[in-house]
Amino acid sequence: MPPRQHAPCATIVSSWLLQLTILLPHHLRIHCLFVRAFFLLLGLGLSGITHTVHAATPSTARYWVVLRDKAGVRFNPATYFAPQALARRQRQQLPLTDSTDFPVRPDYLRQVRAVVDSVTFVSRWFNAVSCRATPAQAAALCRLPGVRSVESRPDGLPMLPATQPGAPERGTPEVSAADHQLAFSQTASLGAADFRRAKLDGRGLRIAIFDVGFSGADQHAAFQHLRAGKRILATYDFLKKKPYVYAGGSHGTEVLSCIAGLLPDGTALGLAPEAEFLLARTEQMHRERFAEEEAWLAAAEWADQQGVDIINSSLGYTSRRYFPEQMNGRNSLVARAAAMAVRKGILVVNAAGNDGLDPEWRTIGTPADGDSVLAVGGIDPDNFLHIGFSSYGPTADRRLKPNVTAYGTVLAAAPGGYVRTQGTSFASPLLAGFAACAWQQNRNLTAMQLFAQLQAAASLYPYYDYAHGYGVPRASWFTGSAQKKPAAATFDFVAQSDSMLAIIIRPGIGQVAARPLPLYSDSVAVMPPSKEKLAAVPAVGREELAPPVSDSAEKRPPAGATPTLPDPPSYLYWHVSDRRGVLRTYEVLEVKQRAVLQIPLRSLQAGDTVQVHYRGFTSTYSAQ
Amino acid sequence: MKLLRLLTVGACAALWLLGVPAAQAQGVLLRANVAADTLRPATGPNRAFFSHFYLGYAAVAGKFDGPGATLRYGRSGEVFAGMRQKYRLSQTAAIGLDLRYARLVYHLVQNDQKILPTPDQHQSESFALPQAQAEVYGRLNLGRRGNVVGRYLDLTGWGGWIISSAHHYVDKPGPNGAGRVEVTERKLNYINRWSYGVGARLGSGRYALVARYRLTDSFKDLGDAPRYPEFPRLVIGGELGLF
Repeated sequence: MPPRQHAPCATIVSSWLLQLTILLPHHLRIHCLFVRAFFLLLGLGLSGITHTVHAATPSTARYWVVLRDKAGVRFNPATYFAPQALARRQRQQLPLTDSTDFPVRPDYLRQVRAVVDSVTFVSRWFNAVSCRATPAQAAALCRLPGVRSVESRPDGLPMLPATQPGAPERGTPEVSAADHQLAFSQTASLGAADFRRAKLDGRGLRIAIFDVGFSGADQHAAFQHLRAGKRILATYDFLKKKPYVYAGGSHGTEVLSCIAGLLPDGTALGLAPEAEFLLARTEQMHRERFAEEEAWLAAAEWADQQGVDIINSSLGYTSRRYFPEQMNGRNSLVARAAAMAVRKGILVVNAAGNDGLDPEWRTIGTPADGDSVLAVGGIDPDNFLHIGFSSYGPTADRRLKPNVTAYGTVLAAAPGGYVRTQGTSFASPLLAGFAACAWQQNRNLTAMQLFAQLQAAASLYPYYDYAHGYGVPRASWFTGSAQKKPAAATFDFVAQSDSMLAIIIRPGIGQVAARPLPLYSDSVAVMPPSKEKLAAVPAVGREELAPPVSDSAEKRPPAGATPTLPDPPSYLYWHVSDRRGVLRTYEVLEVKQRAVLQIPLRSLQAGDTVQVHYRGFTSTYSAQ
Repeated sequence: MKLLRLLTVGACAALWLLGVPAAQAQGVLLRANVAADTLRPATGPNRAFFSHFYLGYAAVAGKFDGPGATLRYGRSGEVFAGMRQKYRLSQTAAIGLDLRYARLVYHLVQNDQKILPTPDQHQSESFALPQAQAEVYGRLNLGRRGNVVGRYLDLTGWGGWIISSAHHYVDKPGPNGAGRVEVTERKLNYINRWSYGVGARLGSGRYALVARYRLTDSFKDLGDAPRYPEFPRLVIGGELGLF
């Protein structure tokens, strides 16, 4: 593919105006010549300014160069991969190596280096080179025999000052009873006690975290056990190309704590405090560049080489670079990189996104759009329902997303102490820790088998919708066989007068708390969330830009109270899907009476399916 | 209450007739219509159609084309505000139309060479030419991007109508013992009311550098009347998109 070359503005303007000059009558040509000179100068001046601002070297741009083949390249996996990477492949019965692991051909690389201004990254997985080059150099690249295609990759907006090391302290050293309750329930909701009883704590698993930066993580008391056990195995900043990652932002610190952080009293903030970690900085806080996606790919290749089992990526790319209709897992480099990581046996866990309240986007970003990426949405700890900001599914090609959910509001470690924060960025590491424990229990699972089991372990499975996915995974599904038994029926489909389908809850199922009876209960009302719950949250990876969340005073437990996990409410979930399983509509109902739902049969199309979930039981009605 | 109940029954009946699944007797905690959720809008910064307001300021640049008037730079300039429509042709090309109000003011230096509009010298003197302008443009976008405006170069052609011309001067002290006299002459018969020109914008997101060049003459040819030096034709400034 030829490169998309951007001719200098001055040249374009000049040539257009030359043609204009010829077409105009003589008395206007003088003006046009003046105008032409003016625009030539303007173009030269302004293009110079913009290039100086956004490019490392004036007049160069970023290009992605795909090479033709890897013929003749030799590769010894034993010397390249860490033993854990080889073991992971063996466990999952993957070949120890395939052509995507081979290095790029040195002669091709030499040819590219000789032509371009600089090479910024070489990808084995995609047999490609990222480089900076002038348009003329890019044109020369196309003529190289080893080059299959050259694609222009624009730089981002002007660079803002990099975040300084020692980010401002977001956390406070005091942990209130309410914070303690939240910290307890964010893991308890996933079944932390079951994993603890089964001695599953992520031990032996390697988790890579790709994030904005890990400010303070090298000193924070929440990670003392990781430092003491030397379980932060490696760090690397793929943007600055150096090992130091403890700057750039504290988002990564908060994410890490949701897998392995501890409160001063030993309460775990995540489920895998005994796992090993690799910390990669792939993201900048205040800008969106394609270079971040390349950094993500570079980090994934690095993680693969280091023997990582799970990648947690609390990052997502949306409207700056893409359209919602492109979110099909095949368009973005980062989605293709995530798919490749899964092919290498790595489970990729990614935040669904925080765009649920953004009318311009609303659905998931990338790489959460990848079909093999476990996209994690957020639920509200107060009611266990979809939390407003959590991005909805489906993908652009109508696949289910998010896959599962976890708390979207958490207590996390941050420079200065602990902070109550929210975003699907934190639901994702809670799930990554969960996945580590599940994989620890059965190390022979492949990444996609684990993916499927994580979905099957979720509270709503096999029911799903585009707000909750399959629901919140439960540790008991992995640790106790009883949970795998089919649930007893809790409701029935009843056809009423050939025109209505009713869902009737069986007698004795569910109790309604004693309360004054309303005069009528047959009104339909959508209960809007409170204003606080509708507050927008910054994009995934940037949640630290929002102020910490305050706990609600009316629900504040007394000091010293033992944290408990309230019973999740029993809602009735129902959806209508077409014959491909794509949802047309879905609802969550608060159950107040046994005759819970009536659906006009005429509203269903041939091949439609009504699926209902209540108290662990899911049943399906198929329209003829 | 009867009325409320009737209304409720009516609403349910309407839903039933419309073919929308109706949940009865329950509090709906979450409701989603997937088709509506996944509807892709036709409007947006990089969608088929985009419309937004903007405002800006451009300083007058260049010189009068002959002796007889000197511009006070800095104070002479154009404040403008308008509405922009953009029609996307492709990821890299778009066309559009601007409608704006621009208030262009030329401040004159008072010196012995001055002849515009008279040789009389004043404390301060200016011409104000508020205009309604329409502008068409072609846009060349740089780089791959999502639903954002991105970086662009616009080449424009514009035409304007001077709503009301005014010549304003201040004498201090004024004649006949007056401390200060301000005079504003309107509807100047020697000013051309129609103008057109070309321009360019170089922008990134909501910010843009703007240059406009007038191709028409400012003053009418009034036969035997002395010909005034032409106002500088170029304005250069900045623009802020409101979106």
